[in-house]
Amino acid sequence: MRTMKRAVSVALLAPLTLAACSSGGGTGEGSGADEGGGAAAGACEPAGEAVTLTYTSWIPGIEDVVAVWNEQNPDIQVKVQTGPNGNGGTYQNFFNQLEAGSPPDLGQIEFDALPNFRVQDGLENLGACEDVMAAQDQFVDWTWSQVTLGDEGSVYAIPQDTGPMALFYREDLFTQNGIEVPTTWEEYATAAEQVRAAGGYITNFSVSDINQFAGFVWQAGGKWFENDGDQWTVSLDGEESTKVAGYWQDLVQRDLVSTLPPWTSEWDNAYNTGQSWTWVSAVWGANSIATGAPDTAGSWRVAPMPTWEGLDGAAGNWGGSTTAVFKGSENVYEAAKFALWLNTSEEALSLLNEAANLYPATTAGQQLPALKEGVEFYGGQDIYTVFTEAGENVPGDFVWGPTMTQVYNDVADGFSSAVSGEGTLTDALGTAQGSTVDALKAQAIPVAE
Amino acid sequence: MSTTAAVGSGPQRAPLNTRVRIPHKRALGVFVAPFAALFTAFYLVPIGYAIWQSTRVIEREGTYGAPTEVFGGLSQYQTALQNDAFWQSIGRVVLFGVVQVPIMLGLALVFALLLDSPLVRGRRFFRLAFFAPYAVPGVIAAIMWGFLYSPNLSPFAAVTSELDLLSTDLVLWSIANVVTWVYVGYNMLIIYSSLLAIPAEVYEAARLDGASQLRIAWSVKIPLVMPAIILTAIFSIIGTLQLLAEPQVFRGFTTAVQSDYTPNMLVYSTAAVPNPSLAAAFSVLLAVATFILSFTFLRLTQRKAFQ
Repeated sequence: MRTMKRAVSVALLAPLTLAACSSGGGTGEGSGADEGGGAAAGACEPAGEAVTLTYTSWIPGIEDVVAVWNEQNPDIQVKVQTGPNGNGGTYQNFFNQLEAGSPPDLGQIEFDALPNFRVQDGLENLGACEDVMAAQDQFVDWTWSQVTLGDEGSVYAIPQDTGPMALFYREDLFTQNGIEVPTTWEEYATAAEQVRAAGGYITNFSVSDINQFAGFVWQAGGKWFENDGDQWTVSLDGEESTKVAGYWQDLVQRDLVSTLPPWTSEWDNAYNTGQSWTWVSAVWGANSIATGAPDTAGSWRVAPMPTWEGLDGAAGNWGGSTTAVFKGSENVYEAAKFALWLNTSEEALSLLNEAANLYPATTAGQQLPALKEGVEFYGGQDIYTVFTEAGENVPGDFVWGPTMTQVYNDVADGFSSAVSGEGTLTDALGTAQGSTVDALKAQAIPVAE
Repeated sequence: MSTTAAVGSGPQRAPLNTRVRIPHKRALGVFVAPFAALFTAFYLVPIGYAIWQSTRVIEREGTYGAPTEVFGGLSQYQTALQNDAFWQSIGRVVLFGVVQVPIMLGLALVFALLLDSPLVRGRRFFRLAFFAPYAVPGVIAAIMWGFLYSPNLSPFAAVTSELDLLSTDLVLWSIANVVTWVYVGYNMLIIYSSLLAIPAEVYEAARLDGASQLRIAWSVKIPLVMPAIILTAIFSIIGTLQLLAEPQVFRGFTTAVQSDYTPNMLVYSTAAVPNPSLAAAFSVLLAVATFILSFTFLRLTQRKAFQ
């Protein structure tokens, strides 16, 4: 009876799968799953009955997007649960749930945390799902390489959004004070002096959310991790990182940037009251400013991120999420299907952009009509064109390590001490380098000394 | 049946007759069982699990091999004891305790003595007023004080922007102030109830001997409430070593509080890596340290207090 049901539903669903394949270009990449990921990838078959999936995310307004799916898919109902942002607590919940053997079916995981979940054996390999493999061509290249984690036939999550970085700045204050909007980091430091003289701070350097710093290093062409298959190489204190750390150390030391903890009332207040004049942030930061500094509506504009000499046009990336299926989910097929809809359909991507300014990871998604319009909070500026250009100039080979939670923690602790006067940002990177190698060893992950 | 027998035989029981205790034991068992079950489920089992977890280490093949947990002996403890951050966090809370606990208990004792003195009016009001902060959850208290301290958001920004109470040098004492504010009233109440238990004859005798109120407080009251003071001291030592909520909340106000600021925060952030085995080892070490400190303190003070 059961087998019968299953056979019938497979037959019924087959056209859907094929449709998904053809819409994705149907390049036959799906066969790769059998070779590369065959051993690791689990089965990816429909359950043949109505299922309910659980999904945890911290995207503001995600409930409304999921409601649209639930209406159209009575047999695959998704229960969404929201939490704090990943490093703010949701990842820890995920790890605990995995340890306890009861994770949700799906979860939001940022690109940088994927290796961490992979190394804890917490992710279902979607390499066996044909429509997932077929969707590869829809995504921006570097996002796909971040979800295969170096193994061609495997897919550990569906890319959702990206965070190309640019410079948010208070156009009104810059004009009033006759300060030029900086295009290079050198000019940025000069502008910082002028802004300080005018009574403000050019920006707030994020010492406890290290993702921003990582984005700076990414832009400068640095790499923190490499995985050659046999072992990891850690280079937190590499040449580029040291250069970027030295640059900010100088600004901090001269009291040209503030160092308030990010994502707090203090932070919002600094932007809302005009104490902070710029923010080098990702595309989703547009939403953070609009909600955190409502009194400044209309005064902000977006320009390309300042660049380093010799690296004209290169941009960093800060954040960006994926939708992953957790190990132990009994409905991998349905979960993957939902994740694909959420992250590739124009309907879902438009809603996500509207609700949370998410910037899609698919090439088609970046052409959404909503992304061609001016944004009122930014004086009607068509800000997304700046980010589209930045997205095209993000170096593609940045690799995240398998213990990023620890890396962020250790670097943040060191940075916090540094801005309080103990040591420097560069020292902090050196210390974190050592502690990261130790952390990898503690997890029995092979690492080069 | 046995319960009825036990209840029935109760009133007739002679104080020294040990034989009749057997039915009582069963009744005792019935009454103790719920406690024992909860104690086991929420105390003994977690402790046992933590000890077991602390002996586990991870093994894996290759850069992305699946992790397997194997027995690793005491190697996690070795790692834990060699961790500088662990020792720094212990040092920080010990410093905190050495300064904050005497101040807090001193204030609690003074308030209790004042409430107990016949000279004070509005006793009920003050008793409630001093105790009220304890009714505020610790996290809420920390958030409130965080805003008060903040250089930018404080209603007293004129002061706090000049004297940064959230700077590296001062933040520990700012936290101490929050903890004192919350717990003075609670400790005061324990000492005060102990004062109320002192028989009136003792005071009468002291007065007949010509002792002043100050003299009574110093020579009669304080020695008699010493056991209560020691009890509050031990609670405070344990509480200090387990400091978590206040500094954790303060991370949202200042960068001077790191993720490994106190031992409990270190356990928390280690568990988030996730490295549950090392976190378990830290926890067990912290429990042992708490045990040693509390009992050393008890040993040192017991003779004086209970002779």
